[in-house]
Amino acid sequence: MKILIIEDDTQTRDYVAAGLKEAGHTVDVAKDGYEGLFLGQEASYGLLIVDRMLPGMDGLSVVKKLRSAGSSVPVLFLTTMCGIDDRVEGLNAGADDYLVKPFAFSEFEARVNALLRRPRETIEQKFLQVSGLEIDLMKRLVTRDGHCIDLQPTEFRLLEYLVRHAGQVVTRTMLLENVWDFHFDPKTNIVETHISRLRSKLNVGDKPDLIQTVRGAGYRVYETL
Amino acid sequence: MKLSSLVGTTSFKLSALYLGLFLCSFLAIGTTVYLLTTHSLEQQLKNNLGSEIARLQSEYESGGLPELITEINEIIESKSHHALEYGVLNQDGQLVAGNLNQFKLAEGWQTLRLTSPKLNPNENHTFLLTRVVALPNHLWLGVGHESDIIEDAGEAIIQAFLWGFVLVIALGAAGGFYISRLFLKKIDRITQSTQAIIAGDLSHRLAVSENQDELDKLAILLNRMLDKIGALIQNLQQVSNDIAHDLRTPISRLKFRLEDALKTNLSEAQYNEELASAIVEVDTILDTFSALLRISQIESQSRRSGFKVVDLGDIAASVTDALNPVAEEQGKAIQTDIEEHIKWVGDKELLTQLVFNLVENAILHTAENTQIMVSLKPFDNRIELVVADNGSGIADKHRQKVFQRFYRLDQSRTTAGNGLGLSIVAAIVELHDGTITLADNQPGLKVVVDLWRK
Repeated sequence: MKILIIEDDTQTRDYVAAGLKEAGHTVDVAKDGYEGLFLGQEASYGLLIVDRMLPGMDGLSVVKKLRSAGSSVPVLFLTTMCGIDDRVEGLNAGADDYLVKPFAFSEFEARVNALLRRPRETIEQKFLQVSGLEIDLMKRLVTRDGHCIDLQPTEFRLLEYLVRHAGQVVTRTMLLENVWDFHFDPKTNIVETHISRLRSKLNVGDKPDLIQTVRGAGYRVYETL
Repeated sequence: MKLSSLVGTTSFKLSALYLGLFLCSFLAIGTTVYLLTTHSLEQQLKNNLGSEIARLQSEYESGGLPELITEINEIIESKSHHALEYGVLNQDGQLVAGNLNQFKLAEGWQTLRLTSPKLNPNENHTFLLTRVVALPNHLWLGVGHESDIIEDAGEAIIQAFLWGFVLVIALGAAGGFYISRLFLKKIDRITQSTQAIIAGDLSHRLAVSENQDELDKLAILLNRMLDKIGALIQNLQQVSNDIAHDLRTPISRLKFRLEDALKTNLSEAQYNEELASAIVEVDTILDTFSALLRISQIESQSRRSGFKVVDLGDIAASVTDALNPVAEEQGKAIQTDIEEHIKWVGDKELLTQLVFNLVENAILHTAENTQIMVSLKPFDNRIELVVADNGSGIADKHRQKVFQRFYRLDQSRTTAGNGLGLSIVAAIVELHDGTITLADNQPGLKVVVDLWRK
């Protein structure tokens, strides 16, 4: 997949670009807002990674201009850690996700994959299915190999998010943000605790584990066992 | 103080304007009083003359001319006529009785000008308001009264008002100067205080008098602004100090560790391990930075612009729901008494963190088998959030200090946390105009957050 990085800081740019290339992506880079806007208008990119603070034209304006020109390419914003208002502002400008610098590459990669794999048109799905697990989104029922599994609302949301991103690594922070809407770092291991509860409910009867722990990164639901 | 600077002040201009307006109304009142008084005096005079004429007319009708002449002579001789002048003229204008002969032979009111000083020796002429009626047999009866009394009264009124006018101008101008001087003095004081503050004395405050006038109100407001600025600056200095003190330690520790690793011969696996743990340390430092920046952002109050109506009941429920398994895992229990649908205007993200940090603290800093109680209740004037536990509590002397940045009860800093959790909580409470108190739960700690209704 072709990815455009718009970032003026050489170190971050090289770090991100090298990692993405290693993961098998084709990477273009732009050093300022104008160059980024110019390149970003090409339709061939699968993802834009945009720094908030750019010389020339800032990241927000670049994304706004692209969006008003009708571009629907997924955008991941990068920002320094100074702004807690920035997240809302960035998402309002048309970004799809948001990452605060400095970040672990695993976190970055997980988010990039989530954005790349995101279906362009979100069709209202009624069922999710993955390796013997079936989720009825309307009735909010979960069955595994035909056996009904009773889940708490939070556990259901957690499982739904994991299954929607089946095959991808989902980080702790992504889960906190998307399942709980918590935008801060807890000191307790709430994600781990909830995952382990979910696991034990899913694996009743010594079934193989559906949720894989990816060390130092997060969790992944196997697409096929 | 220069005169020109006084004249230029707003208060002086306002005083001048009011003085002008006052003088105009003063003139209007004077004119009205003058006209009304002279008119009513004239009316009264005319009434007197009219009734006197009517009386003499009836005398003439009942007793004829001789009776009238006798009556007039009697009145003149008795000198009880009070400046009234009488005259009866025949068709040729000759005086038949009395002493008034200057009137014309025509019915109605006439004003006669008498040049003889007889009536008023101080003046060489006088005016006589005269009522003339025709009697049967071609006789004319006239009764007059000097009308100078009306003019005298009028003049007296004009004079009184003129003096008043002068007095008002004098008092008004003096008052204007006085008020302007007072005003300028106050402004001067404010200017001096401001200059002192600009020069660097941030503890200086504007003087507030007991009068509580507009300037005092402004000064009080400015003082509050200065308090706020002072607090913010102090806060900023505090943050710089905190960073200097509390981040130096972990950074130096990291440095020593890396230097150590560099000096010793380690296997590749050991180097990897060292690097991994160095990254963990760096992450901790970065987390602390983020938390510090978050606190100062919350304290800058810029988040207020994004306040929306949020459901506190939902927030508290989602937080306890998220933390309940964590508590259970550690052998603790969370009991809730959360009222639903409590609407409040605030920042959802921060209010969530507020509840989260308090409950998480209760989980992290208590022993096994602790009961944690979370309640949220609306009252008439406030909403009360209580997070209580029956753990070991916090000693009195530490209670206020735990809100300070990096303050930790465990001085060895071996337990989880960076000592910023409660500082964030305090900042969030402050942002929402609330109050937070730590109380003894006997046993345990009871944190009470009150959000006050405006």
